Amino acid sequence: MYPFTYHRPTSVVDAVKMFGASDDAAFLSGGHTLLPTLKARLAAPSDVIDLTALPELKGIEETKSGLLIRGGTVHADVAASPLVRRNIPVLAGLAGSIGDRHVRHRGTIGGSVANNDPAADYPSAVLALNATVITDRRRIAAGEYFTGLYETCREPGEIVIGVEFPVPLSAGYAKFRNLASRYALAAAFVARTSAGVRVAVTGAYNTGVTRPAHFEKALDADFSAEALDALDVDPKDMLSDAAATAAYRANLTKVLARRAVAHQGEVLIYK
Amino acid sequence: MITVSLTVNGKAVSHEVADETLLVEYLREALGLTGTHVGCDTSQCGCCTIHLDGISVKSCTVLAAQAEGREVTTIEGLAKDGSLHPMQEAFRECHGLQCGFCTPGQIMAGVELIRTWEGPLDEHQVREEMEGNLCRCTGYHNIVKAILKVHKETRGSADA
Amino acid sequence: MDLLKSLRAVGQPLRRKEDERLITGRGQFTDDFSLPAQTWAAMVRSPYPHAKINGVDASAALAMPGVLGVLTGADALADGLGEIPHNPVPSTKFDVKLTGRGGTPVYIGEHYLLPTDRARYVGEAVAMVVAETRSQAYSAAEAVMVDFEPLDWVAGTVEATAPDAPKLWDALPDNILVDATFGDGAGTDAAFKAAANVVSMTWVIGRVTGVPLEPRAALGWYDPDTQRYTLYAGSGGAVRQKHELAKVIGVDPAAVRVISLDVGGNFGTRNRAYVEFGLVMWASKKIRRPVKFRADRSESFLTDYQGRDLVSEVSLALDKDGNFLALRASNLSNVGARCVSLSPLSKGSGLITGSYHIPVTTLRSRATFSNTMPTQAYRSSGRPEVTFAIERLIDKAARELGYDRLDLRRRNLVQSSQMPYRNAIGSLYDSGEYGKNMDRLLELGDWAGSAARRREAEARGKLFGLGFANYVESSIGSPKERADIIVHHGKGIEVVIGTQPAGQGHETSFAQVMADLLGIGFDEVTITLGDTDVVTAGGGTHSGRSMRHASTVMALAAEDLVNKAKGLAAEILETSTDQVTFGEGLFGAPGTNRTLGWQELAVAAADKWPEGLRVRRDNEMHQPVFPNGACMCEIEIDPDTGGIDITRYVTVDDVGRCINPMIVHGQTHGGIAQGVGQALWESFTIDPDSGQPIAASFVDYGMPRFDNLPSFTCEIAEVHSPTNPFGVKAGGEGGTTPAPAVIMSAIEDALAPLGTIEIEMPATPLKIWNAIRTLRARTRAIAQTEPA
Repeated sequence: MYPFTYHRPTSVVDAVKMFGASDDAAFLSGGHTLLPTLKARLAAPSDVIDLTALPELKGIEETKSGLLIRGGTVHADVAASPLVRRNIPVLAGLAGSIGDRHVRHRGTIGGSVANNDPAADYPSAVLALNATVITDRRRIAAGEYFTGLYETCREPGEIVIGVEFPVPLSAGYAKFRNLASRYALAAAFVARTSAGVRVAVTGAYNTGVTRPAHFEKALDADFSAEALDALDVDPKDMLSDAAATAAYRANLTKVLARRAVAHQGEVLIYK
Repeated sequence: MITVSLTVNGKAVSHEVADETLLVEYLREALGLTGTHVGCDTSQCGCCTIHLDGISVKSCTVLAAQAEGREVTTIEGLAKDGSLHPMQEAFRECHGLQCGFCTPGQIMAGVELIRTWEGPLDEHQVREEMEGNLCRCTGYHNIVKAILKVHKETRGSADA
Repeated sequence: MDLLKSLRAVGQPLRRKEDERLITGRGQFTDDFSLPAQTWAAMVRSPYPHAKINGVDASAALAMPGVLGVLTGADALADGLGEIPHNPVPSTKFDVKLTGRGGTPVYIGEHYLLPTDRARYVGEAVAMVVAETRSQAYSAAEAVMVDFEPLDWVAGTVEATAPDAPKLWDALPDNILVDATFGDGAGTDAAFKAAANVVSMTWVIGRVTGVPLEPRAALGWYDPDTQRYTLYAGSGGAVRQKHELAKVIGVDPAAVRVISLDVGGNFGTRNRAYVEFGLVMWASKKIRRPVKFRADRSESFLTDYQGRDLVSEVSLALDKDGNFLALRASNLSNVGARCVSLSPLSKGSGLITGSYHIPVTTLRSRATFSNTMPTQAYRSSGRPEVTFAIERLIDKAARELGYDRLDLRRRNLVQSSQMPYRNAIGSLYDSGEYGKNMDRLLELGDWAGSAARRREAEARGKLFGLGFANYVESSIGSPKERADIIVHHGKGIEVVIGTQPAGQGHETSFAQVMADLLGIGFDEVTITLGDTDVVTAGGGTHSGRSMRHASTVMALAAEDLVNKAKGLAAEILETSTDQVTFGEGLFGAPGTNRTLGWQELAVAAADKWPEGLRVRRDNEMHQPVFPNGACMCEIEIDPDTGGIDITRYVTVDDVGRCINPMIVHGQTHGGIAQGVGQALWESFTIDPDSGQPIAASFVDYGMPRFDNLPSFTCEIAEVHSPTNPFGVKAGGEGGTTPAPAVIMSAIEDALAPLGTIEIEMPATPLKIWNAIRTLRARTRAIAQTEPA
């Protein structure tokens, strides 16, 4: 790694100040995206600001609107949380399927949402459940938050304090993992909400986490796997790489959406 | 440079290190605890697995500075008073190691899994939970056996 | 041999002596060593697959913090450093003798520590930086400006053989370094002409890499006081590499000490010396401080010697009853940018007829250079490839000609009564009961019950596949081995031997052998390996050679030791040597109740001989042995995703006498994983447009893992080999040898209801899904053209 200066603020206010005072700072949360990037010498921030001591980023609470999972919460804690398991069990299951056991002991929801990796799991839940991303300066609806591959509407230095999830009527998540990286080649989060069916696909679309509108329309009319049979996913909209062609991702998207519909309440992991 | 102070295998330690020092580098180089190994650079192989406040983590993906004030247990700290931990015994008994390079990480991962797992534990679950540790020698078969053996002996539940 | 009369430790699953240090974090892997005032090395590596080196500008790097020096190929040449003498052409008596065209010697391409003319593969080291810290060295390496002039390149195995393909070496007219024919061409042609049926196929067994979990490392130190070099470096043979590196540096081997203690996996990747080993030694002399190198995993992926990469065209001629009449094969091996080992091509060449009696064969063996990392032996070097070729071809014959695939095999299997059996290429299979292996395997794996399991899987919407493969493989290896036995006064008995384990448990299994030979307890024997100041000679570990060579030389040494001890005992017992008896670890004589144990004799020997009670014995054995067995597996495929699960994997392996079944099972398990890995997940792929490797980390290179492998059912068969005193064959590689064939056989079986289509390994979910899609489209197309 290139050398940097490490900071560990103990309040969000301090963290923001430190960011402003640095030439080129990076936030560190779980570290399982940033540190591998730095080890590969793909980035050379002058300062690394560790958010894991911020009290404002700790905890899971029930709110008027649902569940607030604060940004510093590790995946293992979301997976084991009685609150999450009771209210949105598929969200707990999704968190429990990220990476591997040791990764889940460190990786955080704040980091995942801030980074918006095209193959990450959380963005699909955030978008499908119509969650709100709460930062140090504003509240952002999921639909506005994710703006493309690796892109969010976050401003430089804007910290994800937490994500507030409305509780759905039901939800299901189905994922097909890359056999090497174990990230999602494609994954579909299907939720029945009071405002209708929402489907969010990660890993597959070349626009990042995306809601296929035609799926939602069909499922609103008939919430069944068969309702998707006549529909297609256009390979032109898909990512393509050595592990999965556009046609294959298009197929997986449809298959996984069907299975998530047919298995509401479950998290299905395939490889 | 930054001063990090923490407890490693029950002993308080404190050193001045470069800010970017990884925990695994600190353990191996500043403390001479070379039992924790580096096998990859993408946080996937698990050879560097240790316990941070009792939880299994990949020490190659934690800054030494992030362990400030915390308790670290490495493979060297597992045996107590000259007695091997049951997991260490099980690895030997079940031939769960060959070259031994991934072994410290496997043992630390297995110990934490057994300690925190509630209820029965079957082969499928062991294989899922140990996914973050690679082994190139054993084909995993005997490591699974060792972990199930320890679970049966220490937590008392039969395999599902 | 008398000393084999009472075996107590041999054959037992004794727990390993190695484990105490390895399970407590006290292993001694290369990177665990540090020396005072040590510095770090980083390599400057070529980003191009092929490029001229017009110059190296180190000025920016030299100005960076902590940098102590930048060394180039020109510097190495100026200091008189030589090529690494890889000696790649297998040359034991029974190796198939590969040659260049027209019987000419094989041109191998020089291997200097750093090239001066060109870089020939992505990742080739062209300069070295030495700095105070590793981080400083790697940062400075980025600042070294190499004036590369990119050249045309070729990576594909077949593409590289084209007469107009970009050429790697000026000494050759093209890239073909080996082109030799074996067997009986005329006889084969005649048999094919007369055959009722001919089945042919071209198989691609692609490139993988060994991925030992310990990245390679080296710590070199030149001591100006003793004028000796010490090198810590995990290897596949410390003695061999000591001699090789001494030649490179240009010193007497006595001036070099190689220390290779705990090695984190080898699998063939460490069988040949790496440039960094010589470079740290050389650099240490120049800067007068120790120099250490540790590869990143990405460097290991790019520049570990790699494995496999064979294209095999095979044809089988059969008569109307399904008897095999002849085999024609043309095998093409991609050795990479230079030739460091022809073991895979050579060993495979000797086994193309597999477990079957095929009376006549002709084989063309070729090897080509390409702008890729050099390849060498990798777990079962050459045998998985040729086993794949023959076993899959037989599957094809069965399918196309309407035979049951097991019946077709049984009809043609080499019979026990034919042993020792000389195959049509000339390999003499020493012993084996191939039919019995099959019978036992089918019983052990409940082959008969698979139909019910198929129905059950299909009811769950899965495609069910059942795979089968026989195998026979060879263990040859370096022919020489040395053992020293030292009876320590007051301690136990020490054996010094020149094998080089990386997890195979030699400290344990060799101790079992010696304990029984000398009639003492297993705990009283220690095995010393890996430090060339103690280990003076030996062949290293590869090709399954270790137990066979070690047990033989230990048996001979034990005999020498017993005879020497008898002489001493005779004096003490006041009798003649020929009256002295030895048994159960005790020396005695008729007419006295007194017995002498090894410790007493060691005490007496200390008075008599300055070196004490010890012997040294060398042995040379060329005769190969042929482990063999059978294998089956069951898989389930999710037709919607192409995802695949292995639900059953069963093997029967004839390893000859089994010294420690626990260790042998472990070897089988690990071998299976590596073979299955090649079939399903592993591929060191080069992008065809850029020549860049695209799977150079665990993010892209799929690995066998806890959750993609099942537990295995493995049984050891012991048909003692008549070729060595203990009857040992080898147990280290039989797990891998049939694995790619058995997996692809199962996948073919799973897709059979939809049709037949070739899938090239690794059979990833993407490829399986594409195959299913193609087969379904074909079926639809046929249905559409069928008359209503």
